[in-house]
Order: sequence, then C-alpha cells, then structure tokens
Amino acid sequence: MSLPAHISLILDLTPVPWAALSRASPPLALRSFLAQALVFLHAHLALRNENSVSVFGALPGRSVGLYPPVSRGSRDRGAEEGADENTFHVFQQVDEGLMRRVEEEVAGLEEVEEDAPPALVGALTKSLCYINRLANPPPPLNPTDAPPPAPHARIVLFSVSPDASVAYIPFMNCIFSAQKLKVPIDVCKIDDSEVIFLHQASDLTGGAFVHVDQREALLQYLSMCFLSETETRKTLAVPTQDKVDFRAACFCHKEIVDIGYVCSVCLSIFCKPVAQCSTCHTNFSPDTLVRFGGVGMNGHGASNGTTA
Amino acid sequence: MSGTSQPDQLPPIHSFLTTRPQTTLSRLYARPSACLAVFRLLDDVARQIVMSLLWLDSKTGVDLTAWVSPSETARKHYTAAVLGLVRLHIAKEGSGRILILPAFQAGLRRALTGGGEHRSFGVPYLTAGGKDQMTTEQLDDYALERWESILHFMVSSGSSIGRVPPPSNAVIYLLRRSGLMASIGGERNPDSRITSQGFQFLLEDSHTQLWDLLLQYLAMSEDQGRDLVEVIGFLFMLGSMQLGQEYSTENLSDTQKVMLQDFLDYGLIYRRDPEDHTRFYPTRLATTLTSTSSLAFTSSKHEKAASSEGFIILETNYRLYAYTENPLQIAVLNLFITLHSRFENLVVGRLTRESIKGALANGITADQIISYLTVHAHPMMHKNNPILPVTVQDQIRLWELENNRLQSDNGYLYEDFNSQGDFDLVLSYAKQLDVVLWESREKRKMFVREDGHENVREFIRRRAEAS
Repeated sequence: MSLPAHISLILDLTPVPWAALSRASPPLALRSFLAQALVFLHAHLALRNENSVSVFGALPGRSVGLYPPVSRGSRDRGAEEGADENTFHVFQQVDEGLMRRVEEEVAGLEEVEEDAPPALVGALTKSLCYINRLANPPPPLNPTDAPPPAPHARIVLFSVSPDASVAYIPFMNCIFSAQKLKVPIDVCKIDDSEVIFLHQASDLTGGAFVHVDQREALLQYLSMCFLSETETRKTLAVPTQDKVDFRAACFCHKEIVDIGYVCSVCLSIFCKPVAQCSTCHTNFSPDTLVRFGGVGMNGHGASNGTTA
Repeated sequence: MSGTSQPDQLPPIHSFLTTRPQTTLSRLYARPSACLAVFRLLDDVARQIVMSLLWLDSKTGVDLTAWVSPSETARKHYTAAVLGLVRLHIAKEGSGRILILPAFQAGLRRALTGGGEHRSFGVPYLTAGGKDQMTTEQLDDYALERWESILHFMVSSGSSIGRVPPPSNAVIYLLRRSGLMASIGGERNPDSRITSQGFQFLLEDSHTQLWDLLLQYLAMSEDQGRDLVEVIGFLFMLGSMQLGQEYSTENLSDTQKVMLQDFLDYGLIYRRDPEDHTRFYPTRLATTLTSTSSLAFTSSKHEKAASSEGFIILETNYRLYAYTENPLQIAVLNLFITLHSRFENLVVGRLTRESIKGALANGITADQIISYLTVHAHPMMHKNNPILPVTVQDQIRLWELENNRLQSDNGYLYEDFNSQGDFDLVLSYAKQLDVVLWESREKRKMFVREDGHENVREFIRRRAEAS
C-alpha cells in the first residue's frame, strides 16, 4: 500500500512580474493562475483520502504561510458555515482558506516593498520546516499506538522572477536540507527569465523542471508533470532538465562565476584569489596567491591586514 | 476476473463494477462524487494516466507510451493500469492511444472544479444554533460499537451472550447470504455458526471487511430489483461526506432512504433522534469508504481499537498470553484456544488438541489459525524467526491432518472375471494406464479410478467382441 503524499506549494506572489505576465502574450493573470493552482491542489487531494497540502507564498522581502491556516479553530467553524452540496468538502476548505489569505496578503502589500526580490528562500525554509514537522509528529498520547506513517512530501515551486544571487548560500542550504529530507523540489517556471539555481534545486533533489511554454495550457502541464507521486514516477516519467547549469555564485560579491577560487578548507567560493578565507579565516600561502597571479591585497580579504 | 491485470490491485468494488454493463456505469459517472470515488480507488499509475488526460479535449486520444519509463516492470504496470481503466469504461484504447470517455471526463472535471447543481456530495443539514453537534469521538464510539457487535455476533456463533446486543435481522440475513455464517439446522433456525469463510473474514482489516459486506449488500440490492446506480451512487456519496457534519435526507430517492435504514444497522450512519428521519450523520466507517488505508478511529475507548496491533504471545509449551480486554478479540481466541484465566488486561489460555479440533470442526483451517496468530503477534514475538514457535505450528497442522486420515476416491469395482487370464490381461492394461487403486488376484477383483473407467470398459468390450 502506498503512503500518503504531501505537496507543499510555493507561490511567487511578487506584483511586478505578475503585472508583466498579465500583459504578456499569451497573458496569465494572477487570478487565473491561482484558479488553476487550486484545481491542481484538488487533483492532488482527490488522489487519496490521506493526502495533504500546504501553501507558502513568497512576497517581496518576506514570506508567509498561506495554507493550512494558523488558527485551527476558526477554520473548522468557517468550513461548516457554508458547506456546499455541490463541492467536495475538502476542496472547499482549501479554496476558502487559501484565497482568503492570498487576498489579505496581496492587499496588505506596500508600495515601498514591491521592488525587493521575492523571499523565495524564506518560503522554501518554512515549507521544509513544515515538512519536517510532518515527518516527525509529536509522540501520540497513547504510547502503545504506532505513530502514523510519515507522508511522502515534495515541494512544487512556481517561479515568475529571475534568480536572486544574493541569496545563493541560504538557497543552497535549503537544497541540501531538502536532499537530506528526501524531498524532491519540482520547479514550474512560468516566465522566461534565467534561473540557474532553480535548475540546480530540481536536479539535486531529483525533482521535475518544466518551463511552461504555452501558458494557456498551464493546468495540463500541472496535472501531467507535477501531480505524479514519487512512486508513480518510476513508471510514468516526469520531465527533467537535460542541461543543468551548475555555476555557482561567489561568496564575496554574490555574482555567478564561470571560474571561481575555492577555499581548500571550507569550500567557500571566491571570484578572485584572496589572502584569507572570509568564512573560516584560513590564511592562504602567499606562494599560491602569486601562482594564481592575483595580488589578493586589493580584494575582499585585504582588509584583514595580512602582509604578503 | 481476467488474469492479465493484477487482481490484488483491483479493489473489490471495481471488480464488481467491471461486470456491469456500460450504460449502468455511464449513468453512475454522471455523479461527480461517484467519479471521484471510483478515481480514488484506482491504483497510482491509473490515477496519473487519468489525470494526464483529463483536461485534454482530443477526440482521438493521446499516446502516453513515451512517458512510460523504459523498464519491463514499468511497461507491465502501465499496460495493467490501462486495461483496468478500459474495463471500468473510464477510458478506451486504440492503437496505443488512450482516450478518456466523455461521461467520466465530464464527471471528474466537475468534481475537481466544484460547482454545478448535481448535489451529489450530500446536502448538509443546517442547524440553527449548531450548538449540540456530535463530536467525531462520539460518532467513532458508535460506529465501532456497531461494527464490533456484528463481528462479535459472528464469533460467538449467533448466541450473542454477554454485553453486546445482537445485530438486527437484516444484518444476520446478509451474513448468512454471504456465506460468512451458516445456519445450524434448517433455514428457519435462528441459530447460526461461523463458517471457514467467515473466519477468513475476521482475519481481514476492517476496511476490507466493510467492503466485503457492502459488495454482498450490492448483490442483494440487485436481486431485490433496486437500481444499482442509485445504490452505488449513494455509497460513494457517503464516502465523500465530512465526518462530524449532519446531512439532510431531502434530496435522497426512496431507494436511498431504505438504504439509510440498512446502513444504520451496520454503523455506517448515525441518527441522533431515531424517530427523526430527515437527517443523519455519516460515521467514520462511511467517510473512509473511498480511502485506501485502513480505518483509524479516534475513539475515546481507543485502547480497544489500538490493541488490534499485536497482543498475542505464544510459547513453545502451547501456552498463549493475550494482552487484550477487547471482548471481540477474546471471543475470536476462544474459537480455538482453551482459556484458563482472565485478568484486567490479559487472558491466558492454551492451545490444546480439543480446542483446535473444535475449531477445525467449525470449518476453520489450520492455516487460518496460524495466520491469525502471526498477524496479531505481540511486538516482542517479532524478535523470533519464525514469529511463532515451529513446534506449535507443526502441531496445529498435524492436528488438522488427523482429520484427513481417510482419503476417498471415486471409482468402479471390476469383478466376476471368467478366467484368471482375462483378469491378468485387463489388470495389466489398467496398470499401464495407471488407474488401478486396489487389486486382488485371489478374488479376481480390482478397483479402477473414475477417470480410467471408460478406457477399461472399452478394452473389455473389444476383447469380448474379438473372442
């Protein structure tokens, strides 16, 4: 018998790219995107009674949990008030809970923060924490009970903005935690910007990477590529990226580098040879620095006052 | 069921549905809740195939083979899944292209997007204050008590002694009809006893048991001339309802109202006021019908349900300790062990020749007993390999063999041969065919197995004509 599955959805809710997308051809407005994402969640919940979802949003400069709602009591009441005989009750709970939160958050956005990059890392971290909590439930009250089996979790990330290389290190840390938790990160790229970190995320965690070429068929992409569970993927394959850009960003200027210099002790990456590692404070031998041709003194590490 | 699909992967309700005509299924699929339920009970790969094709409006179907992983098991799994879909009339396949049939497609789409006016997910009963709602614990207690009363009735072989009230006559009728219990003596006799099939039924988890019984119910409803679509549609509607929500009966057909009454006996639904026929609560037995895993009751009498996890310790000296106080489990054990003493949370008994013989006489097989003990073995027993002591297992099987000391074969006795020569000739011919079970040269008699009789008789006739 297969285990229940959990999907954690990460939505990029930054207003600027969504405004651009709603004018692009073919257009995809945020509202119609959310409708399709909801049907996708319904489909996931329809697969099995025990399946569950959580949704996290990346807003400019901060991240929020959108579903499940934090206060459990209010949700239970709310769902019962308006129960509808034409909709499966589970779907209804998700619809109402999620839409209400998204509207709240989008309405609460302020002018000043709209330019900040989306807090994708924050959302990813929250999502991983949530999954970790699902995998390690609190011990049951009755010690003779076997704890419920941990669900197979995976993350589906919808991206509409380009990479923010500033967040390279925390982002990679997220990927490694996901690897450790055995959580695949599926990436659904809706706009056309370059995202090499997301490539790496899906590749390293064994998730799917799909760039949506025909935006009007988003739902088809979602149900064909992102719905299949870890077990099913052994039979019906999902698309992955055949060319993965493995370039990294340097630790000193957060720029993506073709050739970097790596600290031999802690594996930090630098775009230029430096005299001392800024992460672990290892002093590099002056001979090596000379061999690399870099002076190292005018670089990042020079402020440490090492004499060459 | 055809051997090409994996029969154990097709849930029983689906094997039942595949035997129905396409028109019945098309009418069933007009209900979004039924589509959702049928979809849920498919296996993983079949579900993904349906999902991949659900939103496509292609008239000719789509070839999915490119998506199948290039391994032998994956291809087999895929073919089996497609075959299952075709047999349920969910999809049709032609030259590798798969097309979801419009009836199912429309139904599932409607279920996923919501809306419409089909009212197939149950009409909630809106209470004015919503103050005295039933809690899920109360519903669980009720359902569990009802369900265990049925099982308890089965193990106590109809005598229903003790605290548990016997189930209604309709339930007893269904149990007998399904062959889980047999009446002692005539059909009119109210006393029944458990059959071998019934014991097998007790070994299953409650989810499987429930479906077993409901399938019998479906077959019975069909015999009574009820509309199968109404009956199955209602089952699936129950399966999609919310636990702890009260529903109204206003939208139900007459057939479904009769079913409601029946399901009250099984513990699938609960009525707070037995006289008020306009509303009901579904219990967990009902709402988990379409889930694939077994039931998880959040009952306040939780230890009762939880102790099904494994509570039996069996020693090499045939002594058996069962850490349980569940009367049902004790009653099951009582079918094949001699109980010595009972404590707060423990019963002690012994497997004896008499107790096993008694069980065997009831039609319970040695394998069933061994598998029951293995399934319910205490976690401490799992340290042993094999879990049960070999000596005890062997002895149970040997006791069973004692019953089979005589082996009967049907055949024909040949006698009154005219001469010893004739006899020898026929005997050697029959021996060539290897059909002789017994022979006596002195008495000129031999016994030939049934399947060899034709040949031997023909041989004698030919000999008689020739001479």
